[in-house]
Amino acid sequence: MAEATKKDMPTETAENMVTLTINGRETTVPKGTTVLQAAKELGVHIPTFCWHPKLKPVGACRMCYVEVEKMPKLQVSCALEVMDGMVVHTDSDTVKQGRKAIIEFILLNHPLDCPTCDKGGECDLQNLTFAHGVDDSRFEFQKYRFVDEGMTTTFDDRRIGPEIILNRNRCILCYKCVRANKEAFGEYDLGVYERGSIAEINAAPGEQVDNPFSGNLVEICPVGALTNSDWRYKIRVWLTSTTPSICNYTSSGINTLFFKENHHNKIYRVTSRPSDDIDDGWLPDVTRYGYQIVNSPDRLTTPLVKKEGKQVEATWEEALEIIGKRFGEIKERLGGVCVGALVSPGLDNASLHAASRLMRVGFKSNNIDFRGDYRYLPESSESPFMRLCSRPFKIADIDDSDVIVTFGSDLIREHANEYLRIRKAFNFGNARIFAVNPYQTKSADVSSLELVYLPGTEESVVNGICLAAIEDNLVDAKRGEKFKLKTPTKSSAEAAKVSGVDRESLRTVAEALAEGKKITFFTGEIITRSRQRDLIASALINLHRLFGLKGRAQMSALARYANSKGAEKLGLLPNPRTVVVDKLRGLWGEYPESPARNTDAMMALIKKEEIKGFLILGSNPVMLYPDREFVKEGIEKLDFLVVADLFETETTELADVVLPLASWAEYEGYYVNLEGRTQKAARAVKPIGQAKPGYEIASLIGEALDPEMFQNEQQIHSEVRQLLELDSVIAYPDDFLEVKADTDGSQGDYNLPLYIIDDWHHSGHLTEKAPSLANFASEPYIEIPPQLASELKIAHGDSVRVESEVGKVILPARISEHTQNNVVLVPRNFSSSNVTSLLMRKKRVDRVKISKVDE
Amino acid sequence: MFYSPVITNAAEVASHKDLHLFKYVEDPKQHEIGTYQAHGGYKAWKKVLNGMTADQVTEEVKKSGLRGRGGAGFPTGMKWGFVPKASPKPRYLCCNADESEPGTCKDRVLMERDPHGVIEGMAIAAYAIGCHLMFIYIRGEFNHCRERMEQAMNEAYQHGHLGKNIHGSGYDLEMIVHTGGGAYICGEETALLNSVEGERGMSRMRPPFPAIEGLYACPTIVNNVESLASVPHIINRGADWYGSLGTEKSKGTKIFSLSGHVKRPGNYEVEMGFNLKKLIYDPAYGNGMLEDKKLKGVIPGGASTPFLTPDMIDVGLDYESLQTVGSMLGSGAVIVFNEDACIVWVIKKLIHFFRHESCGKCTPCREGTSWLEQMINRIESGEGQPGDIEKIEDVCGNILGRTICPLGDAAVMPIQSAIKHWRDEWQYHIDQKQCMVKTNFDFK
Amino acid sequence: MNEVLKAVGNIFLKMPKGFVVTFKHLFKKPITLDYPRKKNPMTARYRGKHYLERYDDGTERCVCCGLCAAACPADAIYMEPEENEKGERRAKMYEINLLRCIFCGFCEEACPEEAIFLGQVYEFSEDNRNSFIVGKDDMLVPHPRKDNPLKRIYRRVRRVYGVTDKSK
Repeated sequence: MAEATKKDMPTETAENMVTLTINGRETTVPKGTTVLQAAKELGVHIPTFCWHPKLKPVGACRMCYVEVEKMPKLQVSCALEVMDGMVVHTDSDTVKQGRKAIIEFILLNHPLDCPTCDKGGECDLQNLTFAHGVDDSRFEFQKYRFVDEGMTTTFDDRRIGPEIILNRNRCILCYKCVRANKEAFGEYDLGVYERGSIAEINAAPGEQVDNPFSGNLVEICPVGALTNSDWRYKIRVWLTSTTPSICNYTSSGINTLFFKENHHNKIYRVTSRPSDDIDDGWLPDVTRYGYQIVNSPDRLTTPLVKKEGKQVEATWEEALEIIGKRFGEIKERLGGVCVGALVSPGLDNASLHAASRLMRVGFKSNNIDFRGDYRYLPESSESPFMRLCSRPFKIADIDDSDVIVTFGSDLIREHANEYLRIRKAFNFGNARIFAVNPYQTKSADVSSLELVYLPGTEESVVNGICLAAIEDNLVDAKRGEKFKLKTPTKSSAEAAKVSGVDRESLRTVAEALAEGKKITFFTGEIITRSRQRDLIASALINLHRLFGLKGRAQMSALARYANSKGAEKLGLLPNPRTVVVDKLRGLWGEYPESPARNTDAMMALIKKEEIKGFLILGSNPVMLYPDREFVKEGIEKLDFLVVADLFETETTELADVVLPLASWAEYEGYYVNLEGRTQKAARAVKPIGQAKPGYEIASLIGEALDPEMFQNEQQIHSEVRQLLELDSVIAYPDDFLEVKADTDGSQGDYNLPLYIIDDWHHSGHLTEKAPSLANFASEPYIEIPPQLASELKIAHGDSVRVESEVGKVILPARISEHTQNNVVLVPRNFSSSNVTSLLMRKKRVDRVKISKVDE
Repeated sequence: MFYSPVITNAAEVASHKDLHLFKYVEDPKQHEIGTYQAHGGYKAWKKVLNGMTADQVTEEVKKSGLRGRGGAGFPTGMKWGFVPKASPKPRYLCCNADESEPGTCKDRVLMERDPHGVIEGMAIAAYAIGCHLMFIYIRGEFNHCRERMEQAMNEAYQHGHLGKNIHGSGYDLEMIVHTGGGAYICGEETALLNSVEGERGMSRMRPPFPAIEGLYACPTIVNNVESLASVPHIINRGADWYGSLGTEKSKGTKIFSLSGHVKRPGNYEVEMGFNLKKLIYDPAYGNGMLEDKKLKGVIPGGASTPFLTPDMIDVGLDYESLQTVGSMLGSGAVIVFNEDACIVWVIKKLIHFFRHESCGKCTPCREGTSWLEQMINRIESGEGQPGDIEKIEDVCGNILGRTICPLGDAAVMPIQSAIKHWRDEWQYHIDQKQCMVKTNFDFK
Repeated sequence: MNEVLKAVGNIFLKMPKGFVVTFKHLFKKPITLDYPRKKNPMTARYRGKHYLERYDDGTERCVCCGLCAAACPADAIYMEPEENEKGERRAKMYEINLLRCIFCGFCEEACPEEAIFLGQVYEFSEDNRNSFIVGKDDMLVPHPRKDNPLKRIYRRVRRVYGVTDKSK
């Protein structure tokens, strides 16, 4: 709370400051600070169990006692606000006695099973007992034991979720897990039952703790009451060492810490590395357990070369020789423009830049892109959508925004970290939060209003908001007139009718946007994946202009992958911005003049057999590109395909040469998060087998082509640095943009909109290899809203036939808890789902029909 | 409908010029609105609505010197005055009818037999703090109280004492009858608010006090049933009249629930400062000890207050006098023990109650009460070890004043005073492995 | 004659005098030991090769907590835990490198489960270095155990209460 209160303070003026004395040292802190925090800032340590910097204080554990002069009793410092002239003692005899008593009370019923407890070695209770407790107990009775039905021993470990194991006997009832679950994550699957000395933390009856943030509960538990199978009985914490890193699955660049063991060259777990600017110390499960792919036994360890139609193991030399020869042939015979590359946005800056250099200098080709899973990408880097992408955005600014609009984003699945920030703004601030989505989302539980529009009518919603503002004179009338010239929609009522959102809601949003002093407005994957993303972006830029949001709003299309923003800045696009092109020309002395193609265009050209050779670094277009047949047919026609990846995937199956790629934990890399902040992921372990990082692979291929192409690492890094220094923000145009009407009619029988999403616990195509995440979900499924399910008599777990114009798959059904309207969702993370075969790249909204499979 | 057979001094009150709370409680029709109005009910409410401002009401109550009857004795008017005037948030009033203190049964009588008096008091308090939605939180076990209150509430709505634009004054007031799940801790005001919100009944950290940030983080006033039931009388008869009753600092009248080894246990409304000895021995009240045995000790204010020994009972029943003899007025539940009661057994019963009712939030109370219970059980069953008394005293010291809510204090204060007054009896239990008192009177 | 007598005297008087020590030792218990055939009983506190104890029902005492390894000054202990079928923590791998071990007994001191003891065995020469890395199977006492249960109890008592060794 103090975090938020501190921010609410207008300035640190004298009247907002309070002077107090702690242990004889005077300190001045802002009003509203707690004594605990003031002491912390002074470097005075006060022990705690139930206090967490990001949660409201409850004062349950009573460990943080301090003595305040003129107060008769001991005070709990975590909840005691500072007052002027306070004299605090944190180390007096009374305080020591109080702490000793608390430790004694806690240990009364706490089992002494430290040898088998996974928390041993990093346990708050162990440490504080050592520091403040006594070594003998005065308790002469049987300790209270929770014994499960049917169990004869007091050994009480029960699984309360796919990953989480609860030991109620060890619990000291600090309530941190329950509070975090409720306050920070908005989940209610964990609760307190019974009362007094037999109170217990447990999963809600009949429920499992499987929320996408459940891993945090284990991390914040001060004792070993909540543990997870990831770390269970694997290694002692004192045998591990830590390496700072960042998350490779989310675009926020969540700061993490690897716990690794050098002799085994293995990572044992990931914990948070709290950073107030980015993550507040909370990790989504995909970040926490996603590291497991690094240790996976299925990793590619040697290069594979296709010989007589079969991929066989080969050495790097062999593989590079073949690559050099075949690419060299294509380059000589047809020119470098017949080679293309697709690079994963999960790779670090150096790898991206090395790949860019390989294509642009080595092949003199502009055919390079990093966006492997979007259809109809903008050709120009100054298209409205790319302008929207380039806008500055700061995660920490969400906290004190007074209006927050999320547009077209299933937030928890895409930007879990930003969702937690919005929750924080909801808990501690008084933000008005709006969620605008084509279907109801779980993340909208904090919004004051959720607008659900008909799929494929995004621009009508935006225009509706603008028109509602004009009609109700919430904005400058002159600007309104100009705006009206550019939009085909005539009135907000019309927009409301087209989009299916009632006018009142549109007006409410308009009002908030007109009044807001600090607005956060961002779009998510539903917009980014839409074929009409430029149209929607134009509408949004118009909205920005109409409401005069400049200076009081941050409005951006959020990047999705760990280094999407970096790829954008480094010019991994077919047509980078002119500044970037100029810079690259300056650095390399040359820049290809050949036509530039994005992923779509490259695939089309491959199909036309104009592109003959292709290099894929870390991407899996066959699985993720929203038109499987199109990509697959294309790639099969290639003369020569080189794929580097961590695992064997659908794409590596088709490759002539497969190269083992090192994961982000295996080399030092720099990543640019969605704010444009460059962060380092240090090397935690040695690459497995013969795997090599992306920049090395790109350099080696370059070398195989032309020995003079060799680039050393320092050179790459210095070029990257210079490129990142360039200003990446593209200004909005000076006038309103034309927003054409675009209708998306229903398609005959196929009338049920289908959205491809990430599972709650997965991201991209690699995470299904992580066992802990597979515990949450390992099979594809289709999420069906309840009323549709009851119409079609589909029960949870039934097989459902999903048909589109181009494909058909059979998936088990899940009845969605959150989606109430007529939309079905299918996760894209499971290679067995084949879901992209349902999609057509020409469609704005994919529509399917579903029916129950009769046994 | 169920009518709890509790002895009251209604006859005396009816003829007395100043006592007021129990005036009509023996009237079997008093709970009906017609009878209540015939007895002058809702007059104060109308008076407030047509001619007094909220500040005037608060000022009147402040002047009367009415203090909270739930146990802490905080001046009611002052509490109302703490509600921030400028706050744009809605305000709430909660009537605390979670009467679960062992030995206390005064609110139950008021709610059962005079529910409209409670509603009228609540309405006036609501008006004084400017709230438009008030709750009454009734203990889960008081099912008949809930029925009576709901019936009374419906009648009040029908007669226009509640609802929209009450009696043409433009003032709206809604009321909700809420029952708890049967937890002692929910009688603590912040735990009560948590319970109303649908959360677990656990006390909250203070500050912020409920008057600033209570129910749904809005300013909330929590008052005891008896305090609120006194309010209409203060409005009707004036603060000066009320201030003339009682002692200098403890004004007005108070209902005492007399129980234990007395001939005539019951609820008695008396003026503040009434002599405790008189309450026990006067034929109009307790009428002396049961079977004329010797008095051993008295708990003057419900299970959570320290004991008084026979030489201390010549004391006025008011907040200050009891403090001078080392006890508290509490909720006014006077429990009397005769010489047959084994003090260890009494404490065993008390600590069992507090262990069972501890909510489990603060470590000292959660773990300490269960440890104390085990130690006291051991002594009671004759297996006490030398040093146990000192250990109990030490543990009590570690709980006292170290918890958020007063439950921890309530649990240890009677133990501490019992050890202080009857240490030889405890010692005898440990040394001789049996009671000093040969017969255990079974409480009925 | 005199010389003869002298010689006889030497033989019968001085030689026995000289041999008296030798002869005395003929009737004394020998100090040396017929080693490979006979073995010296070690004192009860002798710290020899480690062994791992079991509970009476045969389950291993060791829970693989890692405290012995942490206490080991020579870093001779290596272990890997696993989850047994009941969900309890057990050692999957427990190895002591006897070449590194300095037989200080810290592991025995550190063990919270009373699982590891330094035993009486002092003969463990091997012909290759790898054989000196002993695993869990080599160290676990057999079940059912052959030795006298009284002895075991005596060992426990000695360990827990620090009874001094009377044999010294």
